[in-house]
Amino acid sequence: MARIELKNIQKSWGAIHGVRDVNLDIADEEFVVFLGPSGCGKTTTMRMISGLEEPSEGEIIMNGEVMNDIDARDRDVAMVFQGYALYPNMTIYENIRFPLRMRGIPKGDQDGMIRRAAELVELSDYLDRKPGALSGGQRQRAALARAIVRQPHVFLMDEPLSNLDAKLRQHMRVQIKHIQRELKITTVYVTHDQIEAMTLADRIVIMEKGAIQQIGTPDEIYNDPANTFVAGFIGAPPMNLIPGQLQGGVFTAPGVQVAGLTQDYAGAVTLGVRPEDCHVTSGSAHLTGSVYGVEPTGDMTFLTLKAGEKLIEVKADRDYRAELNAAENVAFDSARVYLFDTKSGERLR
Amino acid sequence: MASQRRKTKGENLALRYAILGAWALFCLMPVVWFLSIGLRPRTEIITPTPIYWPSFSLDAWHMIWEDWPMGKYLRNSVLAIIGSVVIDLVLAIPAAYSLSRFQYRGREDIGFYILSTRMMAPAIVAVPIFFLFRTLGLLDTIWALMLIYAAINLSFVTWIIRSYMLDIPKELEDAAKTDGAGEIRILWEIIIPAILPGIITASVIAMIFAINEFLFTLLIASTPEAYTMSVALANFTGGSDGVIYNAIALVAFLAFLPIFLVVVAIQKHLSRGLTMGAVKG
Ligand SMILES: Nc1ncnc2c1ncn2[C@@H]1O[C@H](COP(=O)(O)OP(=O)(O)OP(=O)(O)O)[C@@H](O)[C@H]1O
Ligand SMILES: [Mg+2]
Repeated sequence: MARIELKNIQKSWGAIHGVRDVNLDIADEEFVVFLGPSGCGKTTTMRMISGLEEPSEGEIIMNGEVMNDIDARDRDVAMVFQGYALYPNMTIYENIRFPLRMRGIPKGDQDGMIRRAAELVELSDYLDRKPGALSGGQRQRAALARAIVRQPHVFLMDEPLSNLDAKLRQHMRVQIKHIQRELKITTVYVTHDQIEAMTLADRIVIMEKGAIQQIGTPDEIYNDPANTFVAGFIGAPPMNLIPGQLQGGVFTAPGVQVAGLTQDYAGAVTLGVRPEDCHVTSGSAHLTGSVYGVEPTGDMTFLTLKAGEKLIEVKADRDYRAELNAAENVAFDSARVYLFDTKSGERLR
Repeated sequence: MASQRRKTKGENLALRYAILGAWALFCLMPVVWFLSIGLRPRTEIITPTPIYWPSFSLDAWHMIWEDWPMGKYLRNSVLAIIGSVVIDLVLAIPAAYSLSRFQYRGREDIGFYILSTRMMAPAIVAVPIFFLFRTLGLLDTIWALMLIYAAINLSFVTWIIRSYMLDIPKELEDAAKTDGAGEIRILWEIIIPAILPGIITASVIAMIFAINEFLFTLLIASTPEAYTMSVALANFTGGSDGVIYNAIALVAFLAFLPIFLVVVAIQKHLSRGLTMGAVKG
């Protein structure tokens, strides 16, 4: 129901730059996830979309109409706030009902809508309570219910599941995705959780220090990172980034030698390879290091190797075991080796 | 180990009660003393040796109700005070909202200016105020008292409410805005309920100031038509009967009683805490 364009958006408070030059085109019915470290400007961007914050520069366009001067109240967005923002003097029922009352939903329809929303977040038994008498996770679900109770043009969700336990989080994730698909409502979602980002998003927007680092589908973000920031941010554990030299198609770093790379470039280069693309081998190896740590997790084993001064993460078989400081050889999946310019961090293609 | 801890805890509790009890006694002493003077015969008030167990007498009680229109004074006090608090709240809540929420030039200065009206010695404005109310034709009416009390208290009522409003997380209002509420709705449905303890606290303090107000009341109220309890007290000090201490004590006690009852009735609201649970810990 809404297409959102952000054009050269900036937000600064005096000398503090919260967001710098964000350009983003969100399609109708799209589910976009903002992902990035704390303080990178996710909430600020979201608040500008909602109209609670005015951009210092740039335009916010919804359905082709410039929205900069339109009040938050008239933008018809529903937002889940990072800090919940439940109305303390109202019961949960009244909290969920508040947007319905404000938007003039007929009285007769309200009760059913409230109970359905409460049921979706599994809060039906708590409708009579005040927010002060709920746990953090329950409050968060109440805030979510208040946002999904009606059908706005846009859902804005700022870390709506951050305070839930793993099981409930997974359940809520499915619910949110289902609601969004069913109602076909354009959604912007902020999270720190990569799994959430990967599973929910049509496209992920990676931000750092107020700027967008990469926009892409979860696949693209994971398999085709634009720079070392994205590569080092995504994945658990993230991609190994090994600084070294590239000369005549051969990459060298302490304990590492990879041949057959691009001949077009020479100089200081960072090689990136994901832990799951590193394989312990007894044959010809790309990397030789000493075992630094072995962490079995059940379905696999995290192996940490020390090559030169660098620690390399490897996802090994579930029954892989090794002595500390033993020498170990690792081969890379050569189709999945990435090169970055060490200085700028940009990907070399 | 455990029993020892329990013992210190018990001792702590006893100590706490002892201290609180002593403090309560200290605070209540004047009240009890007033009541005891008010309910004894006039002959037992000023004596060469103290009388610890005076005889009980309703002389003063009958006197204040029968010889003076005490009921009217009490009514005047109550009406003037309630009216003044209502005026204060109607003006102070929007003012405090503006001072705590909107950004504009000189906001801090205006805030301080409002507070600074409280720093002036009242006697300075006594004469102009007298002429002002004479011109308005409000001398000797409780309307004038209402306005005066409201004016005296407005500054700190605004200030107290403002400080409570500053404590409300901004996200609450943001949520209300995205939910579709306008400024007035937000003020009425979100802010005011959340700062109710602050509003009550400010109102009680305003009432206490108002019931004790003497200078302006004396100035405005020239006949018993607009006398309040505080001015009525002065009735008993002059005249052919001399200073009637037991009547003074009883009237003072009666003036104290309504505020005391109000405070007891609403004391649970006098503490903070209503905003708890609104936002993340
Ligand atoms: N009102 C403000 N005044 C000044 N600086 C602000 C203001 N609001 C945010 N900032 C700054 O802008 C930057 C981005 O903040 P923002 O809240 O958008 O981060 P975020 O990505 O949501 O972080 P988190 O994941 O911790 O919620 C931060 O450096 C923050 O300090
Ligand atoms: Mg944030």
